Amino acid sequence: MGYLRRSIKEIHEALISGAVTPEELVREALTKAHDNNDNAFEYICDKEAYEQIKDLGSKDKNNMLWGIPFVCKDNFSTKDIPTTASSNILNGYVPIFDSEVVIRLKNAGAILIGKATLDELAMGGTGTTGHLGDTYNPWDPSHKHQIGGSSCGSAASVAAGIVPFSIGSDTGDSVRKPAGYSALVGVKPTWGRISRFGLFPFAPSMDHVGYFTRNVFDGAVLLETLAGRDEKDSTSSTEKVIKYSDSVDGNLKGKKIAVIKEIVDSITNDDIKTAFESNLKEMEEAGAVINYVSMDSDLLKAIYPTYIVISCAEATSNNANLDGIKFGPRMGGHTYEEVMINARTKGFSELIKRRFVIGSYALMRENQEELFLRAQKARRLIVNAVNEILKDNDGIYMPSAPNTAPLFEGNSSNKLSNEYLIADNCLAIGNFGGLPSITLPLGFSNGLPFGSNLTCKPFDEATMFSIASGIENITGLKDLSAKGGKR
Amino acid sequence: MEFEAVIGLEIHVEMKTISKMFSSAPVTFGDDPNTQVMPLDIAFPGTMPVVNKQAVINAIRVSNALHMSIDHELWFDRKNYFYSDLPKGFQITQQARPIGSNGFLTIEIDGKEKKIEIERLHMEEDTCKQLHSWDCSLLDYNRAGIPLVEIVSRPDMRSGEEAMKYAEKIRSIVSFLDVSDGKMEEGSLRCDVNISIREKGTTKLGTKVEIKNLNSFQNIKKAIDFEITRQSTLVECGIPVVQETRRFDEGSQETVLMRVKTDAVDYKYFTEPNITPIELSDEFVEEAIRTSPELAESKLARYKAAGLSEYDSNLLISNKEISDYYDAVVKAGANSKLAANWVLVDVQAILNKSLISIKEFKISPENLGKLILMVESNKVSNKQARDIFAVMVDNNKDPEEVASSIGATQMSNEDELKAIIAKVCDENAQSIVDYKAGKDRALGFLVGKVMQITKGKANPAMTSKLILEEINRR
Repeated sequence: MGYLRRSIKEIHEALISGAVTPEELVREALTKAHDNNDNAFEYICDKEAYEQIKDLGSKDKNNMLWGIPFVCKDNFSTKDIPTTASSNILNGYVPIFDSEVVIRLKNAGAILIGKATLDELAMGGTGTTGHLGDTYNPWDPSHKHQIGGSSCGSAASVAAGIVPFSIGSDTGDSVRKPAGYSALVGVKPTWGRISRFGLFPFAPSMDHVGYFTRNVFDGAVLLETLAGRDEKDSTSSTEKVIKYSDSVDGNLKGKKIAVIKEIVDSITNDDIKTAFESNLKEMEEAGAVINYVSMDSDLLKAIYPTYIVISCAEATSNNANLDGIKFGPRMGGHTYEEVMINARTKGFSELIKRRFVIGSYALMRENQEELFLRAQKARRLIVNAVNEILKDNDGIYMPSAPNTAPLFEGNSSNKLSNEYLIADNCLAIGNFGGLPSITLPLGFSNGLPFGSNLTCKPFDEATMFSIASGIENITGLKDLSAKGGKR
Repeated sequence: MEFEAVIGLEIHVEMKTISKMFSSAPVTFGDDPNTQVMPLDIAFPGTMPVVNKQAVINAIRVSNALHMSIDHELWFDRKNYFYSDLPKGFQITQQARPIGSNGFLTIEIDGKEKKIEIERLHMEEDTCKQLHSWDCSLLDYNRAGIPLVEIVSRPDMRSGEEAMKYAEKIRSIVSFLDVSDGKMEEGSLRCDVNISIREKGTTKLGTKVEIKNLNSFQNIKKAIDFEITRQSTLVECGIPVVQETRRFDEGSQETVLMRVKTDAVDYKYFTEPNITPIELSDEFVEEAIRTSPELAESKLARYKAAGLSEYDSNLLISNKEISDYYDAVVKAGANSKLAANWVLVDVQAILNKSLISIKEFKISPENLGKLILMVESNKVSNKQARDIFAVMVDNNKDPEEVASSIGATQMSNEDELKAIIAKVCDENAQSIVDYKAGKDRALGFLVGKVMQITKGKANPAMTSKLILEEINRR
């Protein structure tokens, strides 16, 4: 066996040739999911996965996703399958409808085998704040290192070789950063490219459906199924869906790649700096044009606070529906206020409450101009600056993080340093402007992976996949999974 | 001291669209609780709002009727607050950019026209309905998400009567445009009053009091009249008016305190991120207006032009359904004046007697139109038509079928009539002599004789004509 460490394409070929059956794949995936000790799962679909196999006969076997097991972040609504967003306030909540991405994947014949852990309500970047506790990085069997978040379980399940792809969500960098920490490809296409219907909202103006694969080609294939207009999400785009896998051509010739000097300069990790620079050289040799550009460092440093203000403000409103009245645990109370206060006091962790307070504070009448509206202006300025760079370039390229995966203990990054404010948080430019963005493996340092990230023009996923496949050819880093765990 | 009241109205109108403002759940009234609900209405996580096109068309039509400028870009905002009737924890509304702004309507006070300016019209969604009992509160989400238009006037009204007339005019507009039933008693039109008083001749506004829970147009007037007296008395006694919310108590016919308003609630408005701004093309807006149902004022002008009396015209437009019914009768071919008479007298009598609305009235306008045509073309007499009508009221049968089944037809066959007339003339030769001698009454006598023989079925006009011919021949 061991098919699940392979790419979607390879597994597909094995399915077509009859070398393996969907039942065998599902059994293997479920076994691995149960054996995994990275705390990657909120729920494992032991029964439901086999139910889905029964429907496979009616579906197109030639679809690359047919019979392929996958994992979905637990903030996507799944009919009859508990969905908690790793928050106690949603314990016991069983949705009555599927999110659009799950519908599309099921229609294509992919098999949902589990719901993955996340930072509570997708708010966080550490994989430590979900109600089931820390999610571990499969690349470190000693469990000292984080995998990042918020799509921690989705990343871990692919990195640990349980499934060849998983669905996540990305509001600041929640797919693309953990992808870098776990040697995966992490994709977040243009805002509106994939329907968000059924994704629990964190900050809708920046929320994206994203996903993890082990190579660029699989990432392109997946988008062909996920992308497209959905009447249930009026922000989903009517832009034509193309055969993205056709653009996985490895061709870097003439591709104009911008590198923002201030971002690279803020990084102190030598392994990453060196790897990134030699990567750039090789890209140049392969025909790419590398343009070093400058961006106002005040704008770069404004990304993180801008993100916090806008995301917390939207989050406090989006999560106001979690009041203990309609679904989720009822904590009792004599008045409606008591019912709400009790449910929310017990249901949310302190961290979430802190974010709600920040968001609420930013929206208050007396602060809105100074905080929320100012953050919106800053967002506009940052997007303008990024678009200005993209006018003359096909993409913006940078390390996906200034370091390898952080430690759980003794992680004391200086939150006022340039490195933290710029290189550690600048992936959010893709969320501010809704730009397509992809993270891919760049190298290893002390056995831990690090990645690079490419952000392109709106709805230009084709160019993104083309460049990314060129980079993948250079690094040779694809189809990786951690073998260190129990299996 | 002489006081003057400064009154502004906020009117919420529940739209009778097929589906809700942002979800595909049906808009119905009177169904079992929580049966007309989609996941969005309960705010299940991951649901997303999709704007109802018909609601937008309706809002454009009302804005147009109120002479407002129409925003060609739709923006929605979130109004954030926690309350048990608010499933999402926010209401989607149009705070920053209402679809309609700066309009007016005119009311008539003591024969004089008065213009009331309207500040804004915006779309939003209704909350769920709460039923409180002593030990629990029940929530019905059927109402959650029903589209609303809110119409906010400027503080241009000065009396209870003006406010009542303004609200009635809004009701007329929304009901004639098929936007809403506009029934205050059923809550499909809700009116909040803002009222303050000041010394006449001064411009500084007094402390504002809000009145809620008004369930009839009459009560708007009563509540305001009461409030003017109450506030005037306070001021005259040197007691300041307190900013508060009051409700009208039906029993005592007085406004009573609901709650004292402290600082206004901070709703933390911001743009709804799940609805990107929607551009309305000129064609879309123009089409909505062009295809808009006819307003009462326009119908009134049309009726008068068709020769109906002022009184009848006003009676017809006092009820949208009646006027629609009347229009359909005329459309079926009936003469305007005859149709007005039938609808306002005969039909209305049945409605009054049976305590039913025109919608429950059995005779279709097409069949009534046909019956009126039969009268016009002398196929039946007026008296016969009323007999036929009496049958149709129960079964909406085709008037011609009813006429033949009850034998209510006129004898219009010339040969048959001629034979009878010849016989009558033979038997009453003296009458012919009398007529020729100038006694016109003799003709009536002969017609009467023919009627006697035909049991009233002879076509009276034809009978007179044929008798005259017969006389001339003799």
